Amino acid sequence: MNILEIINLTHRFSNGAMGIENINLMVREGEFVVISGQNGSGKTTLLRHLNGLFLPTAGTVILDGISVSENVVRARQMVGMVFQDADSQIVGETVSEDVAFGPENLCLSRPEIKKRVSHALNAVGLASFADQRPHVLSGGEKRRLAIAGVLAMNPKILVFDEPFSNLDYPGVRQILKQILSLHEAGHTILLTTHDLEKVLGHANRLVIMKDGKIVRDGTPDQIVTDVETYGVRQPCASRLGMEIGSWLN
Amino acid sequence: MAELTVFGYRTGTSLLHILDSRFKLACLILISLASLKAYIPGLSLLILLLVFAIIHIRVSFISVLKEIQYFLILLTFVLIARALSTPGTPVIEFMGLTMTSQGLYDGILVCGRLGTVVLLGLIFVSTTRPSEIKAAVEWFLTPFPFIPAKRVATMISLVMRFIPTILNQAKETADAQRARGIENRKNPVYRLIKFTIPLMRRTFEDADKLIVAMEARCYSENRTDPELSSGKKDWIALLLVICLCILIL
Ligand SMILES: Nc1ncnc2c1ncn2[C@@H]1O[C@H](COP(=O)(O)OP(=O)(O)OP(=O)(O)O)[C@@H](O)[C@H]1O
Ligand SMILES: [Mg+2]
Repeated sequence: MNILEIINLTHRFSNGAMGIENINLMVREGEFVVISGQNGSGKTTLLRHLNGLFLPTAGTVILDGISVSENVVRARQMVGMVFQDADSQIVGETVSEDVAFGPENLCLSRPEIKKRVSHALNAVGLASFADQRPHVLSGGEKRRLAIAGVLAMNPKILVFDEPFSNLDYPGVRQILKQILSLHEAGHTILLTTHDLEKVLGHANRLVIMKDGKIVRDGTPDQIVTDVETYGVRQPCASRLGMEIGSWLN
Repeated sequence: MAELTVFGYRTGTSLLHILDSRFKLACLILISLASLKAYIPGLSLLILLLVFAIIHIRVSFISVLKEIQYFLILLTFVLIARALSTPGTPVIEFMGLTMTSQGLYDGILVCGRLGTVVLLGLIFVSTTRPSEIKAAVEWFLTPFPFIPAKRVATMISLVMRFIPTILNQAKETADAQRARGIENRKNPVYRLIKFTIPLMRRTFEDADKLIVAMEARCYSENRTDPELSSGKKDWIALLLVICLCILIL
């Protein structure tokens, strides 16, 4: 069953620039989709339509049968989005307050919020930081906090925009592990990156964008050999004709 | 951000941490008002109590002094100005300037009052979670029909969330400009302009990102109410504070 259907989606910015054009994408529940493309190819613009931060100029985005523009709040609850810049995503004064921000907006009861906060913090391994101030966290911890903030809203789809930017090797592995365990727990994952090396070994599907359009869509091994035409570096292993390994081992 | 640690919440389990924030706010206001009317004996008692309170909440004294160093310099100026400008019996005469005993007394009084208020604020802020301060302010404002308490509360929390960000940004901008030799420019107006414009631009950009992040997490003014609970302890504390105020007046 398709949990996400994007049909003929076009977005034009208010200054007239074309953001994305005529995008069609169907995502089944539980899929792990990597969206790649060079800088400015429209990845972020596409993702922002999934939870109604941008509304389409033309076309529709349908989440589990209901269009995003029809019920934006539902879309925001269903699609948890972890932004490119984790710092600007932090709203709260302490780690646990930040995680509680989303559930509070949903008007949940206090005990329910507490339950969700501790569950989300445990899921990302930040439980011992609950009363810390977010500014003192490291880059990787901030990103995990952003993930916890999103998890506390019980989303079905998780969207990660460049989750590995600015992270060191252990940081990347930590976040990757996190993403994989969320995928295993049944979340549908969409992830953008221009560095396929780190994640492609785990994905079921690869989508390549260029100039606001989807130019390739298929399984990683079908497509990975010609990504370089579109300004994305082909992972080393696949250049050498080997299977892409995991960064986790 | 390390410089900002004192003027911010620190976790703890002391009595002052446990008290209800509404009562703490009320006590803060009461003592501040009383201290503005108090004289030397009352003030000394008050400052002594505040010093004990600071030891009790386990904030390091040196960091407090460091935090308020500029304020102390200001107080010294106030003291000197008062001492020199008030007519009365001279104590010291030096190069045509006379320091009078009345002036000295006045100066100490003013400094004592200002110092008390600052110490009080410091104790309040470091023992109360920002969300609790927000909740207390909201609670006090709710009876007033023309003030949108929830909106004010959100604004307060956003301001508190933003101050460290802005300071951090200011420091980064200043460092970046120093690295490129801004100090060779002697014109202060030029330097001010070159400093303020990028700082403002970045602050607004950050604010924009924060808005998007809040929207993505379903922000609405209609949210779960903050949790406040008062008990016998709080009433006793309030009663003691009232007695104290009467005593020092
Ligand atoms: N608010 C806006 N107004 C006008 N043009 C915009 C706006 N936001 C993005 N664009 C343009 O839309 C295009 C796609 O931007 P987008 O941020 O989606 O790219 P991206 O694939 O996420 O790039 P990156 O890899 O750098 O994150 C870019 O050419 C950009 O200049
Ligand atoms: Mg982007």
